[in-house]
Amino acid sequence: MKDDRVKEMWSIDADAPLQSVLDSPECPPLLRQTLTGTISWQTRDEKPVWRALTSPRVAPQWVAALLGLGATVTVERGDGPDEVPLAVGAGLPRPHALHVPLGGPGRRWGEAHVARTPADEPIVAALAVVEMDGSAVHQARVALTGVWPEPVRLAEAPSRLIGGLLDEERIRAVAEAVEKEVAPKGDFRGSEEYRRAMAGVLTRRALEQCLHQEEESE
Amino acid sequence: MSSDETQAITLTINGAEKTLTVRRSEVLLDALRRASYTSVKHGCRTGDCGACTVLLDGQPVHSCQIRAVQAERHEVTTVEALAYPPQPPLRGGEMPPSASGGAGGVLHPIQQAFIETGAIQCGYCIPARILVAKALLDRNPNPTEEEIREAMAGVLCRCTGYVKIVQAVQRAAAVLRGEKVGPFVPVEATLAPGESPAGLLGRYYEQGQALPLLVISPPEMEPLRVVGKPEPKVDAVRLATGRPVFTDDVKLEGMLYGVLLTSPHAHARIRRIDARPARALPGVHAVLTCHDIPRVKYASGGQSYPQPPPFDQVVLDDKVRHVGDRVAVVAAETPGLAQRALRLIEVEYEVLPHVLDPEEAMQEGAPVIHDEPDTEGIYDVQRNIVHHIYAEVGDAEAQWAKADYIFEGEYRTSQQQQAHIEPHVCITYWDEDGRLVVRTSTQVPFHIRRMLAPLIGLPVKRIRVVKPRIGGGFGNKQEMILEDLCAHLTIATGRPVRMEYTRYQEFASSRSRHPQVMRYKVGVTEEREVVATELYLIGDTGAYGTHGLTVQMVGGQKGLTLYNAPCSKFVCDVVYTNKPTPGAFRGYGSMQCHFGIETLMSEIADKMGWDVVEFKRKNWIKPGEELLLAQALGEGREGFAQVIRSSGLEQCVQVGLEAMGWYNKRGNETWRQGDKGTRRGIGMAVMLHGSGIAGLDMAAATLKMNDDGSFNLLIGATDLGTGSDTILAQMAAEVLGVPVEDIIVYSSDTDFTPFDKGAYASSTTYISGGAVRKAALKVADQIKEHAALMLGVSPPRRGGWGGWELRDRQVFAPDGRSLTLAQVALSSLHQQNQHQIIASASHMSYESPPPFGAQFVEVAVDTETGQVTVERVLMVVDAGRVINPITASGQVEGGLQQAIGFAHCEEMVYDEKGHLVNPRFGPYHVYKANEMPRLEVIFVQTEEPTGPFGAKSVAEVPMDGIAPAMADAIHDATSVWMREVPFTPERVWRAISR
Repeated sequence: MKDDRVKEMWSIDADAPLQSVLDSPECPPLLRQTLTGTISWQTRDEKPVWRALTSPRVAPQWVAALLGLGATVTVERGDGPDEVPLAVGAGLPRPHALHVPLGGPGRRWGEAHVARTPADEPIVAALAVVEMDGSAVHQARVALTGVWPEPVRLAEAPSRLIGGLLDEERIRAVAEAVEKEVAPKGDFRGSEEYRRAMAGVLTRRALEQCLHQEEESE
Repeated sequence: MSSDETQAITLTINGAEKTLTVRRSEVLLDALRRASYTSVKHGCRTGDCGACTVLLDGQPVHSCQIRAVQAERHEVTTVEALAYPPQPPLRGGEMPPSASGGAGGVLHPIQQAFIETGAIQCGYCIPARILVAKALLDRNPNPTEEEIREAMAGVLCRCTGYVKIVQAVQRAAAVLRGEKVGPFVPVEATLAPGESPAGLLGRYYEQGQALPLLVISPPEMEPLRVVGKPEPKVDAVRLATGRPVFTDDVKLEGMLYGVLLTSPHAHARIRRIDARPARALPGVHAVLTCHDIPRVKYASGGQSYPQPPPFDQVVLDDKVRHVGDRVAVVAAETPGLAQRALRLIEVEYEVLPHVLDPEEAMQEGAPVIHDEPDTEGIYDVQRNIVHHIYAEVGDAEAQWAKADYIFEGEYRTSQQQQAHIEPHVCITYWDEDGRLVVRTSTQVPFHIRRMLAPLIGLPVKRIRVVKPRIGGGFGNKQEMILEDLCAHLTIATGRPVRMEYTRYQEFASSRSRHPQVMRYKVGVTEEREVVATELYLIGDTGAYGTHGLTVQMVGGQKGLTLYNAPCSKFVCDVVYTNKPTPGAFRGYGSMQCHFGIETLMSEIADKMGWDVVEFKRKNWIKPGEELLLAQALGEGREGFAQVIRSSGLEQCVQVGLEAMGWYNKRGNETWRQGDKGTRRGIGMAVMLHGSGIAGLDMAAATLKMNDDGSFNLLIGATDLGTGSDTILAQMAAEVLGVPVEDIIVYSSDTDFTPFDKGAYASSTTYISGGAVRKAALKVADQIKEHAALMLGVSPPRRGGWGGWELRDRQVFAPDGRSLTLAQVALSSLHQQNQHQIIASASHMSYESPPPFGAQFVEVAVDTETGQVTVERVLMVVDAGRVINPITASGQVEGGLQQAIGFAHCEEMVYDEKGHLVNPRFGPYHVYKANEMPRLEVIFVQTEEPTGPFGAKSVAEVPMDGIAPAMADAIHDATSVWMREVPFTPERVWRAISR
């Protein structure tokens, strides 16, 4: 879906290393935040963008952030290059370029996660991006890690925000809906029950950050 | 083109164009090491540890994740490039002039800074780390601490806690910016008579700032010349420049590669094993199975003779008892060929029922893990109880009758892995005299020689064990893990053989920390006096006994003597399960049992509304008191009576309370309110450990004088990165009146150094130090005797050299005349009464004086998610007189990192079939540089009368109190008690949600 409020698109060569994404002055703070902490400098130097997009274990939070931002990729079709929404999972074609919509004046974002330690891979992470049109929500995207084998953008729950105010009551309703929508699988770092509960808590927190965030100046 | 085909690639390595022939699938790591760039280390091959980091076009990459062909036409930098060639020959302890210090410099300022700050312990990760620092400083000459930590996060360190690494990069950055830096020294403070150590603190730190490393001395403690000084490590230059000093850094002509086939089943009998297809593969030189090796029973734990029973292992068995157990070994021309051969070994298993839980393993009808008839000494074979331990002191009836309150608590600990970055690695070969040489990464070379002999059918005299530098061990290399297999392959092939564990095998096939279940019972009076204690302990020893007996005995002894109740009872069952075998791990039962007793003591104080510090203070063991269980609980046998002769515990606690601002925070609701729904908490724990094994440990040392007045110090002591070579050199230098650089240390070679039981049980400073001091005193007497001859002075009739002194590389007679040590050496070797000035000495002790400590932790608990963030850790330590404050504080900081991991995140987890689900650094998770809390260390020195120069141990005591201090802090924040480690988010969330 094309968002007419987006001012411009930042395009990245899919062969570029992840470090070049981080080093770019255009890199939005949400992407910057999700490329540090858990991912080492060495990994960022050696893994190209396409690898992170097709192997979700490389940088799951970053991929979730891209889903939240509504990123698209250029892939080669039989009839030439085609720009399609970013999708994650095995067997998808290798992209040639990644396109990240740069924030419009109404964009707000939030990130929340739980991990064993501060730099451990999150057990569950939630990334929310909300585009505001005045006081109403024009677009809301919530992406999660740790509730599906790969990072996933939830379709249903965040749509409840669209067209209305971004307030705590509606955020709570979305968080509850997210808990119901996710289908996590437990492992040694967190059971299914725990991950489901965290999906709700962290979605709420990520959206609350959007609520309290000053509009991005850029 | 197949992955095995080779091609020539041209690339620039360290500024020179090189052409390497590589396989298409070969990673850059292997290509570089094959080309003798041995500074590039390997630790995981999964891109998790970062030890293999090199710079590719100036940017750090894991060379294990990059194929060599990808580096074609690129520029590769290894640490060999940094020191300016040609490097002059360096003596042990000698520091080449600094690159920043003027002409003739050979070290890069980053290398220099790493040496000066003590950032190098085992040194295995250091080449990678120095390269990352260079890449960082090239792009950012003035990085913040956060930026340094973020850059360093890709290289794991298990030794240092990252404190000095950050300081090294900051120091190097300053030097590279052209700033002047002062000497890197701790803050030393001597108390005035009657002055409280806590009162000193205000002088040295500002609120909110990290404390500097502080060494507090009592008023009566005389400063010494070399002992107590922050001498750089004698092996630091070798390590900083990436010289080939580790086991795997040599290549021998005709060397074969040995690999191990391990069990995919938790419990199975090998019904049939056919190695013929593997043997038929060209290039395979040996395949050994249980049918090829004599069945000799042994125990793999490296302990003194006689080792504790049972001998429940054989080199290769027809039964496997855990996933990862040994099945067969192969030696082949290349590692790849050896792996192919492994896959060709046909094994038919009869899978048996297995049991992973020690409490289930003890039930009637559980699978019997050791049903073989030739293992003797198992307490109850049918119930898998390998040992049952009982020890009791005091009048139980009378003491329990005094108790007004009885408290009980059950505590559980997990299986933590040592996670040293250098894997187990061993090279064996026949020397020119037909003796077997074992070059191995071990903590116990002399035990290995003795234990290996019967397994390979050679007498001890035909075996030489050499320990090069070790890339960390932490107890895991106090075992015979690979040496017997590697030796058998050399015997079978006649060729040198190299064997190395993969990271998976480190988790599944080496050793780990014993998981324990502890049931404590404590009787307390209205007057807050602990009058009786009991501990029932279940120790899970996995598939084999090895350290099962001794770890639990130490745990019981330490766990019940910290509060030393007049009546104490210890009952323990050590239980087999079908899990990978736990063994020795720094902390050795003590840290598990400290978690139980210290948490229960804090719980009691909380329930009774008592001040936790006052309650503990009233009851902790004090100077002059006898450790009541010490005699009953030695290590694997009866011990010896122990009396506390020195203790700085009271001062440690006082200093810690002051430094933390304890009484402003504890229970303070305003302070507890953290950001974003978190609650803060502060907790504390006290602890004691030991210094060697009383009446058992022995070490010896030899000192030999050279023509120039320098000395060779030959020691069996095993420096596994701790700095023991350095502190032992300092002790010799102190006695002989020379600088450390005049002491050339050679250690850990069973042919050329005297016996030492090895590096374990916190014994090196105390026991090996005692031997070095005695040898040095003997040599000093010989020097004085020869000097008297040279000066025409009669030696004293009844010994005693009062008025004679060794200092400043000279010997001074009572009349003020002096000779240089070089003059004495030349005279004694060439001119007068010619003889070698040389002495050996041995040392053992019936005492094992405990170092003491107090640990304080601040945490933030996210009450909605259960995530705990450790924000600050302080340890105040009484290790007697500190021999080297930099290396000693490095020991504490590194120990704290491991202890935080134990308490917070590290845990080997299994699926229902007994397979590990997290046998990699990533999912297992070792604390990284960018997530460490603020770590601070203060030494409160005491004089231990039985220790060399007043020293006690320091290596293990940092492990003991973090888990209970964290539990105490989490309770302060949330009012819930955590009784099982690690404190994972889900466990804390469930506890809070209850």
